[in-house]
Amino acid sequence: MSLVRHALRWEVGLTVLGLTLFAYMSLASSDFFTSFTLQSLALNATVIGFLALGVAPVIVSGDIDISIAAMLGLCTIVMAEVWQAGVNIWVAALVAVVLGCVLGLANGIFVVLLELPSLAITLGSMGAYTGIAFLILGGSAITSFPSSLITLGSGLAGNAVPWSTLVLLAVAAVLAFLLHRTTFGRAVFAIGANKQASRFSGLAVVRTKLLVFVISGFMSGVAAIFYAGYFNTAQGGLGAEDLLPAITVVILGGVSAYGGTGTIPGVVLALFVLGVLQTGLGVLGFSGQEQTIAVGLTLILALAVSAAARAVRARFAASAARAPA
Amino acid sequence: MTQTDRPPQAKEPVVELRDIRHGFEGVQALRGVGFAVAAGEVVGLIGENGAGKSTLVKILTGVLQPDEGTLLLHGEEVRFANPRAARHAGIAAMYQEPLIFPDLSVAENIFVGRQPSRSGFVDWSEMRDEARALLQRLGIELDPGTPARDLSVAERQLVEIAKALSLGARIVLLDEPTAVLSAREVDRLLEIVRRLREQGITLIYITHRLDEVMQVTDRVVVLRDGEKVADVRTAETSIRELVRVMVGQELAALEQRRREAKPGDDVVLAVHGLTRYGYFEDVSFQVRRGEIVGVFGLVGAGRTEVAQALFGIDPIDAGEILLDGRPFVPRSPRHAIRSGVAYLPENRLLNGLVAQLSIRLNMTMTIWQLLARLGIVRERPVDRAVDDLAGRVRLQRGSRRRAASTLSGGNQQKVVLSKWLATHPKVLILDEPTHGIDVGAKADVLRIVLEHATAGVAVVVISSELEEIQDLSDRILVMRAGRVSGEFVTPVEKDDVLHAAYGLQQRVAAGGAG
Amino acid sequence: MTSLRDRVDSLLASLARAPELGLISILVALTVYAAAALPAFRTTGNADQILSNSTIIAILALAETLVLLTRQIDLSVGAELGLCAYLVGSALGHVGGGPPVAILMALGLGAVLGLGNALLVDLVRMPAIIATLATLSIYGGLQVVVTHGSQLYAYQLPHWLTTLYATKWGPLPAFACVALVLVVVLTAGVQMTRWGRDLYAMGSNPEAAGVTGLPVRRRTYEAFVACGALSGFAGLLYAAQYGNVDATAGNGIELTAIAAAVIGGVSLFGGSGTPAGAALGALLLIEIENILAIEKISIFAQELLQGLAIVASVAVYALVRRYSQRLGARRRRLQAAGPLSGAAVVEPAEAHP
Repeated sequence: MSLVRHALRWEVGLTVLGLTLFAYMSLASSDFFTSFTLQSLALNATVIGFLALGVAPVIVSGDIDISIAAMLGLCTIVMAEVWQAGVNIWVAALVAVVLGCVLGLANGIFVVLLELPSLAITLGSMGAYTGIAFLILGGSAITSFPSSLITLGSGLAGNAVPWSTLVLLAVAAVLAFLLHRTTFGRAVFAIGANKQASRFSGLAVVRTKLLVFVISGFMSGVAAIFYAGYFNTAQGGLGAEDLLPAITVVILGGVSAYGGTGTIPGVVLALFVLGVLQTGLGVLGFSGQEQTIAVGLTLILALAVSAAARAVRARFAASAARAPA
Repeated sequence: MTQTDRPPQAKEPVVELRDIRHGFEGVQALRGVGFAVAAGEVVGLIGENGAGKSTLVKILTGVLQPDEGTLLLHGEEVRFANPRAARHAGIAAMYQEPLIFPDLSVAENIFVGRQPSRSGFVDWSEMRDEARALLQRLGIELDPGTPARDLSVAERQLVEIAKALSLGARIVLLDEPTAVLSAREVDRLLEIVRRLREQGITLIYITHRLDEVMQVTDRVVVLRDGEKVADVRTAETSIRELVRVMVGQELAALEQRRREAKPGDDVVLAVHGLTRYGYFEDVSFQVRRGEIVGVFGLVGAGRTEVAQALFGIDPIDAGEILLDGRPFVPRSPRHAIRSGVAYLPENRLLNGLVAQLSIRLNMTMTIWQLLARLGIVRERPVDRAVDDLAGRVRLQRGSRRRAASTLSGGNQQKVVLSKWLATHPKVLILDEPTHGIDVGAKADVLRIVLEHATAGVAVVVISSELEEIQDLSDRILVMRAGRVSGEFVTPVEKDDVLHAAYGLQQRVAAGGAG
Repeated sequence: MTSLRDRVDSLLASLARAPELGLISILVALTVYAAAALPAFRTTGNADQILSNSTIIAILALAETLVLLTRQIDLSVGAELGLCAYLVGSALGHVGGGPPVAILMALGLGAVLGLGNALLVDLVRMPAIIATLATLSIYGGLQVVVTHGSQLYAYQLPHWLTTLYATKWGPLPAFACVALVLVVVLTAGVQMTRWGRDLYAMGSNPEAAGVTGLPVRRRTYEAFVACGALSGFAGLLYAAQYGNVDATAGNGIELTAIAAAVIGGVSLFGGSGTPAGAALGALLLIEIENILAIEKISIFAQELLQGLAIVASVAVYALVRRYSQRLGARRRRLQAAGPLSGAAVVEPAEAHP
């Protein structure tokens, strides 16, 4: 079975699932299909969206980065501190993004140059980054960011679409281009599928993998800007609850947990599906935690479906292979 | 050579094969092979690559089931549905790279899953004692407490043998056990083989090394092209005789497909005293423009290791490489490719193909950057390159956007070869380029090699198929035990090459054991 | 050549074989330093506190070790702990019950949650990290749902439970005794039974485990179920220690548990590590926390230190092991070169690390 076709089918499935959920929610509650609900759906999905887009290339390359939420937290707090020290908010935002790149690079150095397991390293850096954030800010919180940042994080363009959604889609487009239309992106896929053959073919394995971790940090830095602009607060431990949804979105989007396959449009579609599910459940009166359970179940369901599909396909392939040559 | 219908043996056979046939993807690996082995007998199973030895091993160990023919154990017909059934029947196989548990001790590796226990608890001292006794009985000097992680490959093999025996194996297959061992380790293994025979264990010893066959076996079965061509008492034959049977009678009549164009005079690749301790030593050779140099040798002779060192995969301890007369120290495959070296690896699925990726991306993997502009992929140049390459290698028709894993072995090899042709290399190193592919693909691969040499590429072909190398090469380099043991200009007698490869001194100036 | 280098090499080799030795030396050094420098550290009360406070983390680390040994991971142990703490606590509050009932309930509920993980890993073929990330959210979500935003208070719990934390059995706090018993039982379990040895074998080489005919699937279930049961038991102790259990009980504690195991020398790649090491790892983390508190260093430094400790220990264990393996390979390479060349072997230039 062609992977391209498989990916396409996965994305078609996601679209159908998303639209079905959307239609169901609209019918089930008159509060769902309102501009307010849809706008808050989009606003709520932004930060998770940036994190998911950032970690997707890491997973495609065959590794994992579970420090994304911790990087988000540290970047947000550093941005807030820099701003409170009297620096222009946009300069502070730039600092956050650069910091994100540095944190991602630190992960990459341990994982790629020292060849250590990414799961263990980013588990450790997750604790380290969270700890630094707490050390910087202690138990207090920084709030009341300037209105320009709030506008970016929660304002609407033309009174209709949130600015943050537009930025997210633009960034997704750039990332899709990077991953699907550049030699770098092709190297990411090749390395995730067969690292050894990639090295033997002269691909820059080390450089590519380092860059992938830097992208993950960079996106956490970008997410930090929108976190502050949306929630209007920065305090220790923020964002930790976004780790699971972000990884769920990536896996649900069709990125193989073993590396080598996946698409950015798939990730965006999965973000939509999850957003509709969570917001819809909220409108229907389910609590936040019940929504979280639904997120976990969706992830399991998606993987169960793809595992079943794989098993069926394998059986077909096996019977085809047994046919006379 | 006399082909005896009745195998020379006295005792009741323990294992008997009758008219075993097996084919895969249209290639008939075994065409009716039959022989019997008696208890406590050591039978050598030899033959060139592709003669059907490994298929036979797989059938005996239950990995494959024969298409036709019967397998008898102690006179009764058996059919192994899986490896476990074969193990249960007392047949164990030991391969070059044994499967061990690196974190467990030697003793536990032997007894894993059935450790001696007393009232539910593993009796460690009992286990160590049993392991020590077992190892002693086999003459293996190993501390049962050593973690397997710290063992050499040779020692791991011995642990595997001990494990098989403690599991009650009475028939042990040794599949090319010595290919990766040093001379000293080989001696130790052969000593253990003798000891096993004394204890009534039946052994089938598969190897390329005929001197070992002469040393330890009672009888030799020779396979060629999936058929048994000889079954003789070891005492009644000689290495020279075995080589002749293995290779076939028609050597003199072999048609030489010579090329019109002669190689140029300028040396493209020159290697002086290249050494990586433990793998190869003092390897020197030259390849001229448009020349094809074949590298022949047994598995484990160090051929692949030399190639990988030239390609920047493995480090070099000593020696010098000159590329177009300038010193060349390969730092990485990336660096080697940029310097004009290409290397088609031996293991297609592990190191060659990215099976999940599409055919067209695999074919252009080495030149993605060249086909892109500012790192941005352009589809048209990729398609053009793919069309061009596909034409050159005669790749089967069909969508180029399918995953490469959907292709047959031969077409996969063409895809991998394409990515190296795409780099327009000065030096093209091919490691077993025709291994495991069908006849048609084989002919295409050989034709491509010839064409590129004619176009001025310096080609190095590593192969275990002598006929192929004889056919193709201008010069043949023979490696044995990590050293160059002979160099011949074609046409050359097959015997001469084989003698150099097997370490027979008579006709070779440069001996193997310097 | 140089005996110093040989000595360093053999030291590193023994460290690669038994990481607990390095850990114990660090623990001893830290304790000696703290006892000498900090009067507040020296008290018996403080020692008891360190031991008692390590217990829950230690038990979770033990639970995690069983799964890690098989080359899997369980990120849901914190959620399992929280859910069990609340449900078992409530049940005890409503119906009452003695220790046997409480322990059985905690183990049973935890086992069921662990079974959920095993089913996902085995039947759905999800990578353990993704599967348990999902169950982390599901079990954590269930915890919030069942608590309804309320919490369980100490007065609702049976008296024997709430006084357990302060109880001493002989010279040791009751909690420490429980942890000690579990370390002994699990050490016996993984070191001295075929069951435990199967876990090591599976993690050490999954392919070989299959070929050898070990019951790989069954052991996977058993490891996850045992991990869940132990986490549930830790939940019971959580209720005992804190008295109050709410929706956030156990949040994020899995990170500390995995940190303790990893610092204790349990490999994330399976096949190596010991229960004692994992428990010592927990003790080290809590002792550091204790010293930081006495030194009045922000408690927030704890998380940072923990993270750095994971990175450092993973790096040290991996590099030490790699170094000792490379040494062995080089020794063999040179040996092999002997008969091959027949001449004296020159030390290769590249081999000096």
